[in-house]
Amino acid sequence: MPEIKVTPLGAGQDVGRSCILVSIGGKNVMLDCGMHMGYNDDRRFPDFSYITQNGRLTEFLDCVIISHFHLDHCGALPYMSEMIGYDGPIYMTHPTKAICPILLEDYRKITVDKKGETNFFTSQMIKDCMKKVVAVHLHQTVQVDDELEIKAYYAGHVLGAAMVQIRVGSESVVYTGDYNMTPDRHLGAAWIDKCRPDLFISESTYATTIRDSKRCRERDFLKKVHDAIERGGKVLIPVFALGRAQELCILLETFWERMNLKAPIYFSTGLTEKANHYYKLFITWTNQKIRKTFVQRNMFEFKHIKPFDRTYADNPGPMVIMPGYCVQGTVGHKILSGQRKLEMEGRQTLEVKMQVEYMSFSAHADAKGIMQLIRQVEPQNVLLVHGEAKKMGFLKEKIEQEFSINCYMPANGETVAIVTNPNIPVDISLGLLKGDSTLGPVPDPKKPKLMHGTLIIKDNSLRLVSPDQAVKELGLSEHHLRYTCKVQIQDHHSEQDTLNRIYNHLKNILKDYPIQHLPDGSVMVESILIKISAMSEDQSTKDVLVSWTYQDEELGSYLITLLKKGLPQSIAL
Amino acid sequence: MAEDESEWDCWMVESLRLYKDLHVFELQESTRVIEWIQDRSICVAGCTMGKKNEILELSLPQKLYAKGNQGLCPERDFTVKHGSFSERPIYELKHVAGTSLLVSSGPPDTSLQVWRLATDESDAIILENMVQHQTAAGQWSKISVNCFPTPRVLHGSKVSDLTIQEIASQKVLFTTGADGCEPEPISDLEFLDHCTFSVCSRKGHLWLADSRQRPSLIGCSDVPVSREDGCHWTMGWAPGHSKVARLCSDGRVLLSDYRDLSKTLGLAELVIPTAVSNSDYLSLTWAPYLQDHLAVSGFNGTVHVYDTSSWLAGAGQAEPTFVHRGHSVIAPEAEEKIPLITRHAWHPWKRRVLLSTADDSSLHVWHWVDHNTA
Repeated sequence: MPEIKVTPLGAGQDVGRSCILVSIGGKNVMLDCGMHMGYNDDRRFPDFSYITQNGRLTEFLDCVIISHFHLDHCGALPYMSEMIGYDGPIYMTHPTKAICPILLEDYRKITVDKKGETNFFTSQMIKDCMKKVVAVHLHQTVQVDDELEIKAYYAGHVLGAAMVQIRVGSESVVYTGDYNMTPDRHLGAAWIDKCRPDLFISESTYATTIRDSKRCRERDFLKKVHDAIERGGKVLIPVFALGRAQELCILLETFWERMNLKAPIYFSTGLTEKANHYYKLFITWTNQKIRKTFVQRNMFEFKHIKPFDRTYADNPGPMVIMPGYCVQGTVGHKILSGQRKLEMEGRQTLEVKMQVEYMSFSAHADAKGIMQLIRQVEPQNVLLVHGEAKKMGFLKEKIEQEFSINCYMPANGETVAIVTNPNIPVDISLGLLKGDSTLGPVPDPKKPKLMHGTLIIKDNSLRLVSPDQAVKELGLSEHHLRYTCKVQIQDHHSEQDTLNRIYNHLKNILKDYPIQHLPDGSVMVESILIKISAMSEDQSTKDVLVSWTYQDEELGSYLITLLKKGLPQSIAL
Repeated sequence: MAEDESEWDCWMVESLRLYKDLHVFELQESTRVIEWIQDRSICVAGCTMGKKNEILELSLPQKLYAKGNQGLCPERDFTVKHGSFSERPIYELKHVAGTSLLVSSGPPDTSLQVWRLATDESDAIILENMVQHQTAAGQWSKISVNCFPTPRVLHGSKVSDLTIQEIASQKVLFTTGADGCEPEPISDLEFLDHCTFSVCSRKGHLWLADSRQRPSLIGCSDVPVSREDGCHWTMGWAPGHSKVARLCSDGRVLLSDYRDLSKTLGLAELVIPTAVSNSDYLSLTWAPYLQDHLAVSGFNGTVHVYDTSSWLAGAGQAEPTFVHRGHSVIAPEAEEKIPLITRHAWHPWKRRVLLSTADDSSLHVWHWVDHNTA
């Protein structure tokens, strides 16, 4: 049976990293290669031993696809390609290709240089890994090889995030990665065409979440900033340059005057230069509103928000500062984790006296959103990762019921095989079409029509032809199978008369069948020939020979049964 | 789009002053019930005729139940913990405290459904059985539940068919059928303890009943004077107190004491735009930890909070302490109809936190600032 196999890699039920193996049409594809940020040892990487116990992965994988630059989707990529070993293509969108190495290098620095860990990838490995990357555009069909093709769709979520369709022949899979269905201030909403894939793969957490609105998150953010400023305090907002920084700046700028605030807002210069550069490069990835305003000004040119200078640090009075993202291991990250005492260099201990608010602004879909997307895509099957099947009976039933399709929920490390029903396109010969055509209304193109013929598979072509043509092409001679059966009937008439009576009898009964009375007296019903054996001794009985080809076996059987009942007296000669 | 945004923007700036916290969610379908399961999750359920409706147990986000260090809780989303499908719409849903049992009711008749929340090993809500006693078509039962001495349910649609049944065995422990009561339709009923309960009829009649006595209805109030035809009354009782309030669809609120239902403790006129036509959503609840405060909804797209400490008999118009307008402002752009609040509920221990839901599937959680005491 044709099937698509899916294995989410990873141990246990942890949800911290994405790495999914898909086998489709004889091709093996790895979807994302994320790192688990909660572990400090090898458990942070996916378990590649599912693919092979030892040796490189190149011969086992046809390609790797990365959905976006978050480390839980791409963090293990250099480890996989350079330390385990993979030399095949790695596909991602242009912004992802530009931003991934920055994040990977930042994380490497913290892990190795600051924390002193070993068994981690090096800067050179990141560079070597990125050399294997093939960048793709949205809606561009990329031919990985003769049979495997992929296509990226806009996912929203972060700059460069994509959902991807993988196709081999007539089988296809759609993988969503992370996405959101409502646009935010700088990115649009996910969109994909109604491609009706065999399988749709997404996160189970989406389906079980009901999200607080973006507006309330923004309100909460503005309120905290407003309250702190009103008290005369300073506000520090660590944020990744290419993530929410743009969003938060637009928000603050929009509401600063309305909230009657006059305090200065600063962001770190490094942040703006980098962000400006990337947004300029990838302006088509932002939403329409940003694109319109970008024509008039720079992405980070605001009325109330200015670049920060370190000399301002001790300025009195209220202030809002957006320094940059706090990677794990940094002072900023420790504070966000709730630490109130910090050990600085030189054994100095600092007390954290500021109020800390941890806010999440990442754009994700929720229960309503995932149902919306499934409705949009119309898949044959749905597979949700990072959930526990036995704990999710209701969710499974909900999706199966709503869309009348199967829903699968493999555990990490478990392989699910989804049976597909692929269409195989076949050329049909004109002769066969003509021969099979029936009189009547024009056939409905939407209704399947059953046809019989001989399938010839030669090189890469499949043709359906009539058996005669097939025999001819193959240079074979056709054999005919005929069966002959003898039936004894009671009839005292002459052979010729008996045959006439048989003819009339059959004409009465088989009104819809072509019945012929041949010149030599024998009767023909379709291909069935009825004769009288000249060998009969008794004049009152006749040995009737009935012979037919195997195609008319049913009718032949019927005629035998009929004749065995004898001829009615009333039948004329 | 721009117009909607600026209305929201204005209200948002105002909301910074009005609310300490505000959360806005969108359910897949609207609900008429919000039922707390202890203080960590709520149950909601669909109420649409002619289709399968979802019952969901939603876990609260950490931010809404954390007692300390709330600032370090980034999680603000509800999670579906358990779910199931009901063949009929759910108009009433009650959780039996201390158990994993839920009881629901809804059209097309007065039968009840008993559900059980599965263990942590499953996300299912299992339909255990149907309670059918004197089932009447065309109406649905009001429900109240009690867990002592065994889980039991008080249900009925008229004063003459009120029944207490043990949930597990369905044994009928009590019924008003033998009391010769009028078949007056009821709007609300509530267990006060395992033997006594209060009943409010749609006409505004209020009774106290004791299931150990015959006749069981032991105290009663006068029916308030109706101003117009079709006035509908509902009630809310103050947990742990002897106070009960009755709310009329014309905006009047009567305060009474169980110990003497013949007397009116207080009377107020709420300021409402017009008398409500769909009285099914009228709801009045007392705050569990804010003395003398009650909340009212079901007239329009707002929830009103009142401090009744100043209501004396014949007090006249009452000014709300707070009005939550969020549902009207944050209505989806495509919809022109202002949503109608279908239910509200107080947080079990956060003094000024309420939940409210409307017929546009919105669910709000809001912590209002009382500027009188702030």
